[in-house]
Amino acid sequence: MAENECAACVELKFPCRPEYVGVARLAILGVASRMKFSYDEVEDVRLAVGEACTTSVEWAERNGKTDSQIILRSEIGQEKLVVDIFDQAGDRADDSRAGESEQESENLGALLITLLVDEVTVSPHDGGTHVRMVKYARQR
Amino acid sequence: MNFKMETITAENKPPIIELEGEVDVYTAPQLKQQMIGLLEQGATALVVDLTRVEYLDSTALGVLIGGLKRLRERDGDMVLVCPSPRIRRVFEITGLDKIFDIYNAQSDAMESMGKETG
Repeated sequence: MAENECAACVELKFPCRPEYVGVARLAILGVASRMKFSYDEVEDVRLAVGEACTTSVEWAERNGKTDSQIILRSEIGQEKLVVDIFDQAGDRADDSRAGESEQESENLGALLITLLVDEVTVSPHDGGTHVRMVKYARQR
Repeated sequence: MNFKMETITAENKPPIIELEGEVDVYTAPQLKQQMIGLLEQGATALVVDLTRVEYLDSTALGVLIGGLKRLRERDGDMVLVCPSPRIRRVFEITGLDKIFDIYNAQSDAMESMGKETG
């Protein structure tokens, strides 16, 4: 199989609001369970995806984009899980509307993502942000 | 949503907030409001029991840090009860286990508060 060929893809579209972040976590829990991940690694993916979606939700609230949607796309490969999260929550340039506590949480969220997955990239995308996370299945 | 919160108050003892389920961006604001309410009532010590918490994210961590800061500003303290290795791991990988006093049992947490508050 070619490296970029997707063995199986699962896609979920949901409202960019706090009450739906749990739905995304449930979905990715099911997806990650299809991989050769340990219990802890599945939890890592669930937490990382939850953090990425939470950041999208917080920016949507700040930018008045709570009617927008998040697309969560997972590519289940033989050796790695690639998760793409696309939001339309506006740009992430002006964080002056965030309180101290919110900024602290976001910093912790970003730190958690970095620690929990093997690769993470964040880039602007179509009125929002694209976060790509990659988690490799360890050889056992 | 899978979240419950109960606050136990008793005379001459710090209030205990018992949490259950998922503490995240949707539910953490309820915890924040409860903590603010207790602080406004004059609490200087607080126990937050995470024994029945199944999931905890950075929003929850931010609320707990905010509560700890406010309590320490008034020479108070907050301790956590967290026997679950999975939840405790979130504190460990973020280094917050160095900031919070974390106990395995509520009785141990209460005992530590008793020693501190005299």
